[in-house]
Amino acid sequence: MAVEQPARPTLADKIYDKLFHNYIWKSIFRTGYPNTPRNQMLIVATNVFLHLHPTRIHRTHVKITHTYCLGGLSFFMFLGLTVTGILLMFYYVPSVDRAYLDIQNIQTNVQFGQLMRNMHRWMAHAMVILVFLHMMRVFYTGAYKPPREFNWVVGVILLVLTFLLSFTGYLLPWDQLAFWAITVGTNIAGSAPILGPKTRFWLLGGFEVGQESLIRFYTLHVIGLPLLAAIFMAVHFWRIRRDGGLARPL
Amino acid sequence: MATAVVARPVARPQPRARDEEVLVWPDLVFIEFISALVFTLALFALSLLVNAPLLDQANADVTPNPSKAPWYLLNLQELLLHMQPALAGVIVPTVWLVIMAAFPYFDQDNEGQGVWFGTENSVRLTVVSAIVAVVGTWLLILWDTGKIAMAMNDWFGISGGRTFAFLENVRALQSQLPWPEWSHRIPYLWFDLKILDEGYTGLGATSFHYLDLPGFLVEQAIPIAAMVGLPSLLIYALWKIGWVNTRRDAIIVLFTGFVAVFGVLTVTGTAFRGAGQELVWPWQLDVQEGIPGEGH
Ligand code: HEM
Repeated sequence: MAVEQPARPTLADKIYDKLFHNYIWKSIFRTGYPNTPRNQMLIVATNVFLHLHPTRIHRTHVKITHTYCLGGLSFFMFLGLTVTGILLMFYYVPSVDRAYLDIQNIQTNVQFGQLMRNMHRWMAHAMVILVFLHMMRVFYTGAYKPPREFNWVVGVILLVLTFLLSFTGYLLPWDQLAFWAITVGTNIAGSAPILGPKTRFWLLGGFEVGQESLIRFYTLHVIGLPLLAAIFMAVHFWRIRRDGGLARPL
Repeated sequence: MATAVVARPVARPQPRARDEEVLVWPDLVFIEFISALVFTLALFALSLLVNAPLLDQANADVTPNPSKAPWYLLNLQELLLHMQPALAGVIVPTVWLVIMAAFPYFDQDNEGQGVWFGTENSVRLTVVSAIVAVVGTWLLILWDTGKIAMAMNDWFGISGGRTFAFLENVRALQSQLPWPEWSHRIPYLWFDLKILDEGYTGLGATSFHYLDLPGFLVEQAIPIAAMVGLPSLLIYALWKIGWVNTRRDAIIVLFTGFVAVFGVLTVTGTAFRGAGQELVWPWQLDVQEGIPGEGH
């Protein structure tokens, strides 16, 4: 009775071995593909990006139809917007003399510039829609109920921040669309009783949309609001863990 | 232990059901990866096909007609056409956000949590409130733009003549009724209370002294009555027929109504408002670039 011999390594095995079992690769990823449950839990718990997750979650919550991944996708849009936004920042100067020309320049002279601008714009719209849909999913699954009350409130704040992020970005191309949309939008804020005119002045840095408004919107758009949103997202995600994962029936 | 701090009976996290759990890697990480990939590819394709808009350079002297806010604010801009600006633009959204943030403190019952439409009646409550809100909002918009009176006249030859002209829309109540002179200046404070602002419109500080009754009715009282009254009426009616029994049921009606109204107002503001914010068909929308000098 012949003892079964291990199969001879194929070419694919050899390539795989060369690619992933070398010194440099191992210096980055200490372990190989986690193929045992124990290692799979360890990787989630110890990897800096994955450790937002618990190591194990309830069966019903990995069903696509429970969350439709909407919260995760909102966050993914946020990340994508950060990446494309940084690339756009390389070419954009928030000055009324340059802003519009810079956008034209991005579209015509910069390699993949038009693509970056398009991605940034469509992702921003997508994020507004995804966050709204996420809120609807949370509502109709009754997931705001105790002990998740506060996380719902954090969510409402994130919704407002998402709108504000999008609104402040709208002015930056400094075209007619931008200028008049922000004029209309800030007029809405300016109509508030008593504090309205002050708020509008404070938002625009003047009585009309101009250089002061552009630099304010820009600063809020690229650092102020993203920072705030990131903080509230951190709280949001942390609270999901603290509240015992996603909601499920009692 | 951190839990020792919890003195009040605040709900604690549920105990875990370990035998019902799956591993995050690979089960969840895989789904996240796929959905991220799908979205990246879809947005990439969209970006290759459709360019982000870029019009002429900003020019404060050339007002496009209509000028519109970003689409997700067009619901407010639409609301603005029907009531006092401060009410539509600031008070309504603020109050609504506060109400919405308070949902979980109002409805604390854990029944039906964690599953789609987990409570009895929730599906039909959602469907009915959505239909009522969509139809109702459209009717209100059509009425307030005078389209209903126009249709009655043009299609059925029914016209109230001058006698009923005040029913044509909200504004008509103010302009078409013989309001006595004094009703425009009813003092409600014995002194003129002025509050802070200098007012960018040049109108000066907000003054609290006289009440313009017809204006107040048309711009504030009636819209508020409609926004508070109609949803309450719907909830009351659904309670009467036995569909609304819990707080959860009531806020399902409220939230669904909100989503539906938000949707209708956004669509109307985006696709049905042409020059001068006239109500038109989407194919009649065309933005006129303003004439230099004839700003604002
Ligand atoms: C930038 C915006 C937001 C991001 C990135 C975000 C992200 C997430 C993620 C990743 C989850 C995990 C489950 C899932 O994907 O559905 C989640 C859950 C949750 N979110 Fe959000 N969210 C945002 C906005 C909101 C809003 C607007 C609300 C509500 C008003 C909200 C309320 C909640 C609640 C209550 C949960 C727990 C759900 C459960 O236990 O089933 N979030 N969020």
